[in-house]
Amino acid sequence: MNHVPMRVITSPGARPIKPTRRALAKQRTREKVLAAARQLFSERGYEGATIRDIAKAAGMSTGAVFASFADKSELFDEILAEDYALLVEAMRDAASSSATVSEALTNLFAVAYRFHMTQLPLLQAGIAASWTRTEAGEKRNREALKPVMTMIADSLRAGVERGELSQKADLRLICGVLWDVYLAGYRRAVFDGWTADDLTSRLSDQIDLILAGARS
Amino acid sequence: MGVRDDQKAATRAKVLSAARDLFHEIGYDETTIRAIADRAGVSVGSVFTTFKSKADVLSQVMADRVGPLQEELTRILPYLRGSTSDRICSIFAIHYDFECRRVKLFLAHIAATFSPSLEETTVPFGRNQAFKGMLLDVLAEGIERGDVRPDADLGLVLEVLMAAYAFNYSLAAQVGADAVALTARMDRQVELILAGVRPQPTGYGAI
Repeated sequence: MNHVPMRVITSPGARPIKPTRRALAKQRTREKVLAAARQLFSERGYEGATIRDIAKAAGMSTGAVFASFADKSELFDEILAEDYALLVEAMRDAASSSATVSEALTNLFAVAYRFHMTQLPLLQAGIAASWTRTEAGEKRNREALKPVMTMIADSLRAGVERGELSQKADLRLICGVLWDVYLAGYRRAVFDGWTADDLTSRLSDQIDLILAGARS
Repeated sequence: MGVRDDQKAATRAKVLSAARDLFHEIGYDETTIRAIADRAGVSVGSVFTTFKSKADVLSQVMADRVGPLQEELTRILPYLRGSTSDRICSIFAIHYDFECRRVKLFLAHIAATFSPSLEETTVPFGRNQAFKGMLLDVLAEGIERGDVRPDADLGLVLEVLMAAYAFNYSLAAQVGADAVALTARMDRQVELILAGVRPQPTGYGAI
């Protein structure tokens, strides 16, 4: 279930540089490790999947895995970062075609829910790991999430400009709570079997409540 | 209760106490069943005759903590004063204060809730009905006090409050925020969320 496109080593616009065989082989190893890791993290969670298991599933030695990734957390964060990079564009499209601030937020989170619900166990592993990340891991993760956070903030700012939200509204505070309720929604998926549509519909109500206090 | 039962109960108590300390001191992931057995002064086998897994031990450790927290809350509840948001803030402050005493334990508990390999015996975080009931009561009284709209969806308010409360702990995990910092953040979030259900200033119809 590796739906992440192969990263081809070319520089866009410029004349494609022909990668060396060595570079291609390295790239292929990386892709294989990522695909195997994605599968195992989904099945067993972060703690349950060891580098040894991942190497075995990818058909290579543990050493070969470590040649591409410093440790398990780096490997795991790379998978999450790949997903967010894929998601961001679709989320931005959803937000920019919306007329109101609550519509924009609901639509952009709906994209994320639909995406992650197709691989819920991986998402769960990601949230579980987030409570015990190292400082370096936390920094990496924050970096990967930055475009998403910026997008939420931009949607709110557009709401202020349109006069939907008060000039005095504390956008950072709102942004944080929005992210919290979005994440908390996944608990309903895990324990109560909610679908992406159920989650979106509830989130829409939650967004309205959160924004109600900030309306102009 | 026979001698055997006494022994069993004693082993159980020793295991839980050792596990609680280790989870807090070195973290849940780093703690092995063997380390728990060593600290408790019992055999690895006897840990497994009482508990199915490490996750099972964690669930029980957390369940045992509900009692003391509840006592603390019940003691304080009658003295709560002020607006609905003041009262709600106090309840959350007590929780942060309590959980931050052994914050790693609590973080492990939340993390376990999201683990894809969750075991059936695991009691997930967020199912503490007493806690939720207490908050709902204060919100409902807010309608009587006149600082919460009568048509407010209290279940929705509760959900948003709980999401903010829970995910604030990620600051404890990531930047080592303490109870004071978490409470300060929560205070602002409560203010924002309750602003959404405040009665509209009524020009027309107001006496």
